Amino acid sequence: MRTSLRIELADAEGALMRLIGLVERRGFTIAAMDKSETSGGQSTVTLSLAARDGARSMDVLARQVARLLDVRGVFTRDTDDRIAPEIAARAVAPSDRWRQACPPRH
Amino acid sequence: MTALPASEIDDTAPSAAARPSPRQTGAHAVVRTLEALGVTRVFGYPGGAIMPVYDALTGSSLQHILVRHEQAAAFAADAQARLTGKAGVCLATSGPGATNLLTGIANAYLDSVPMIILTGQVPSGLMGTDAFQEVDVFGMSMPVVKHSIIIRDPLKIPEMIAEAFEIAESGRPGPVLIDLPKDVLQAEAYPTIPPQPRPEAGSSHPPESDLAAATALLARSKRPVFYIGGGVTLGGAVDAVRDFMARTGIPTVATLKGLGCPHPDSETFLGMLGMHGGRAANVAVDESDLLICCGARFDDRATGRLDTFAPGARIIHIDGDAAEIDKLRRAEIGLAGDISAILAGITNDWLDITEWRDTCVERKERHAFRYDAPGSGVYAPAMLKQLSEAAGDDFIAACDVGQHQMWVAQHCRFSRPEHHLTSAGLGAMGYGLPAGIGAAMTRPDAKVVTITGDGSIMMNIQELATARRYGVPVRILLLDNASLGLVRQWQEYFFDQNFSEIDLYDNPDFAEVAHAFGIEAFTVHSREEVPAAIDRLLNARGPILAHVLIDPRENVWPLVPPGASNADMMED
Repeated sequence: MRTSLRIELADAEGALMRLIGLVERRGFTIAAMDKSETSGGQSTVTLSLAARDGARSMDVLARQVARLLDVRGVFTRDTDDRIAPEIAARAVAPSDRWRQACPPRH
Repeated sequence: MTALPASEIDDTAPSAAARPSPRQTGAHAVVRTLEALGVTRVFGYPGGAIMPVYDALTGSSLQHILVRHEQAAAFAADAQARLTGKAGVCLATSGPGATNLLTGIANAYLDSVPMIILTGQVPSGLMGTDAFQEVDVFGMSMPVVKHSIIIRDPLKIPEMIAEAFEIAESGRPGPVLIDLPKDVLQAEAYPTIPPQPRPEAGSSHPPESDLAAATALLARSKRPVFYIGGGVTLGGAVDAVRDFMARTGIPTVATLKGLGCPHPDSETFLGMLGMHGGRAANVAVDESDLLICCGARFDDRATGRLDTFAPGARIIHIDGDAAEIDKLRRAEIGLAGDISAILAGITNDWLDITEWRDTCVERKERHAFRYDAPGSGVYAPAMLKQLSEAAGDDFIAACDVGQHQMWVAQHCRFSRPEHHLTSAGLGAMGYGLPAGIGAAMTRPDAKVVTITGDGSIMMNIQELATARRYGVPVRILLLDNASLGLVRQWQEYFFDQNFSEIDLYDNPDFAEVAHAFGIEAFTVHSREEVPAAIDRLLNARGPILAHVLIDPRENVWPLVPPGASNADMMED
């Protein structure tokens, strides 16, 4: 099982590096990543993640990401590994499948 | 404290009065902003890229403490912050100055200490070109800071520095690094707008239903244990913890950073748990059916083998930082928010644990530490106990790392958690002396004692010059076993007595070294000299060093072997 994180990220120097570094240091591999154009001072980063071992909790990671000062919001969504990547990429996920992981900071 | 006479300080820079009034630059904005934010002291070391700030310091109300290594600046600022709850400030130049700060930054991060780190940087146009003394300290420090910024616009200096202080001190505190390119420091930046204080963000509170669930879980418990960590201090909840202990009578254990939160004379406080915790504490946790973890993070030094830690216990985890809940041990109930309010919201009307409490207290008395070691040599645990008792409630210990650090935790008495300055998360040898200097400058009225070993002192021994320069009333108790004692102990028990690179037989005569720095010092050879030595240390008005020779074979007991359960502790 992979999980996707959608992060609303402020347009600040080092924000993306800080986010990616934290995710990898906390024991997750980034299988895929997408970043939107910056608009209104922020962008949306979507990460498809897999835990390096069974002890890693996505909920805990979401809370750790939410602590970053540049993060405005964190949402999670489970991804079914059985779906072929090309099909999953074409599928348009309804927005209500995203679950807010933490209250917004700002 | 008294500074050296000016004649003894080699200051060849022209005085401010002798120079024309400078234009207002970014560097002036840095200094004026620090002043406006109430900063009175900074610890640092000058160098190329940070020189504009040093130029602007001339004539400032800020007291600059010139250390002799940047790492010491960070450690001293760290100690000041732990004692005051306000961000300590350190500064250094780019490149090696910045990298020398990193250990101190990591130390502050792992122990959640508010700190502002100002680093000079090469001019903006040279950043990314491998210029002289250029390193990407912004990138290098990311894993060990709460936040970091590069200020690229001199007009934003006041606003961004004020925001950095707010970030460092609010919520779960931590270090914030501010990288300052030299051209920004030299640019015109007038006028400087004093920063406005921002309102503090309110704390979150868990829902009433979660508090009711915690109360219900507690009511069903027969063997609860209260497990206290450093987050209690960070959350300003020491009084709430003491009230909760008194109200419930629940046996309580503490982590290294939690020491001082429970009152040391509390009957139900069983002491430190974990690798060098006491038997009463570790056994109580092992037998508990409910662990109320409060401001602790299930660190491996506290839990031992995690899957055997408190095996029969359900968990209520209370923390100011929601990201700590479930990180290492799944909690039945996680309560994130204001610790004092949460503890007040957990009631104990139906709690009946008299038999359990009596069992724990009896076990505590039965397994109390003994101080009647044979022989006439100095027994370090006994000396530390006598020292802390003689110093009383004003005792502040700045520990280094090693056997002496664990002996301090086991045998000293702390009336407040912030009086126990120790590198808990990072375990950084070299912390003790600069931390003692920072603490003694912050609390010159207290009995500040750096407790160090012959390994640790050598990591930052150059700071004796700082102690001497500023006449800092830091007492240094150097326990010398001519070896890296804790490593030796592990090699003795877990590496088949293969003693590899731990013999420090060729240490210098530390009393003579201190004398060379102009510091009063003496050597203690035997047990009968201890009372007079303690008296001399505590009554000193300036820096003083007691070089105490102890038995190299002395070990720290109890000891939970690495990878073992806390229930399987080894004892002498």
